Amino acid sequence: MESSTKFLQNMIQCSLLEKGRAKPFYPSDKREMTPEWDRDKCIQCGLCYVYCPDGAIYRTEDDFFEANLDKCKGCGICHRECWFGAISMVMEDA
Amino acid sequence: MDRFSLYVPNFLPFKEYFIPRKNLACPGCGLALAVRQTYKALEEEMKKATWQFSKQGKFFECTPDTSEPGRTEVSILRVKKGKADLLLCLDNEAGGNLPEAIKKPIPAIGEGFQYVATACPSYPFDFYEKLKKGLEVKGKTYIHILCPCPVGWQFDPELTVKIGRWAVESRIFPLYEVNGGSYRLTVTTPKPRAVADYLKIQKRFADLSEKDIEAVTITVEKTTRK
Repeated sequence: MESSTKFLQNMIQCSLLEKGRAKPFYPSDKREMTPEWDRDKCIQCGLCYVYCPDGAIYRTEDDFFEANLDKCKGCGICHRECWFGAISMVMEDA
Repeated sequence: MDRFSLYVPNFLPFKEYFIPRKNLACPGCGLALAVRQTYKALEEEMKKATWQFSKQGKFFECTPDTSEPGRTEVSILRVKKGKADLLLCLDNEAGGNLPEAIKKPIPAIGEGFQYVATACPSYPFDFYEKLKKGLEVKGKTYIHILCPCPVGWQFDPELTVKIGRWAVESRIFPLYEVNGGSYRLTVTTPKPRAVADYLKIQKRFADLSEKDIEAVTITVEKTTRK
């Protein structure tokens, strides 16, 4: 029974099949694409950090940028706003 | 944005104030972006902030009556500073009407506002400056913020920031500030973009004919001349 509901939830991308069962789901479960940085093209300007609506992008210790995949929803704003095309959207392995 | 402002984000504070464990906004939400930027600009002052949502009737005399069906769903953020308040109007044009998208009901100085401005999260540095100025100025302040909504306006979530920029470039939503009666455009558009670009990319305006678009451009040019 449990496996079938899980299968359905994955199919419909719906977390509310059962009452009160939305807690274990994260909004980021619904995304399809994730951003990936090309460090040769990146100039570390930080525009992707400024424009991220969910605050998913953070600065690493060596001053590059990366996405926190718990928060990222895969909207693609960073990919669109990068001036140098350093960010590419990659299909996520389910 | 000119060449050198590319590196400006590195001077902004990297501390996050808006950290919900689960952020239930849709992907590419313009309102979430605006809220995150306001938290960053106002920092500690946001603890004194209270939210007001629509369905409570009129906020000001010239703003639309939100209790009418089909009017914009506007959320207002009230930040206390001294005696007066800082009011932020986060507008995502949920009514979706064309006259609403063109003519913004913004309160005039005569109603007792010392500082009135419009802002858009597509221009983040302009946004920060206006919010900080709104805190410093004594007296009532009002800032109207345009938040593109990918679900309501029906466009690709990638384009959120771009559409906000196009609204400013096509002079439909000019960014200005009025400080004690002196009017100033903060973002100038020497080469304005065609209004049709902004309207055609959104599916909510898909049923507009070319005559309608011409009429819109004429009204936009009239309002910019003032």
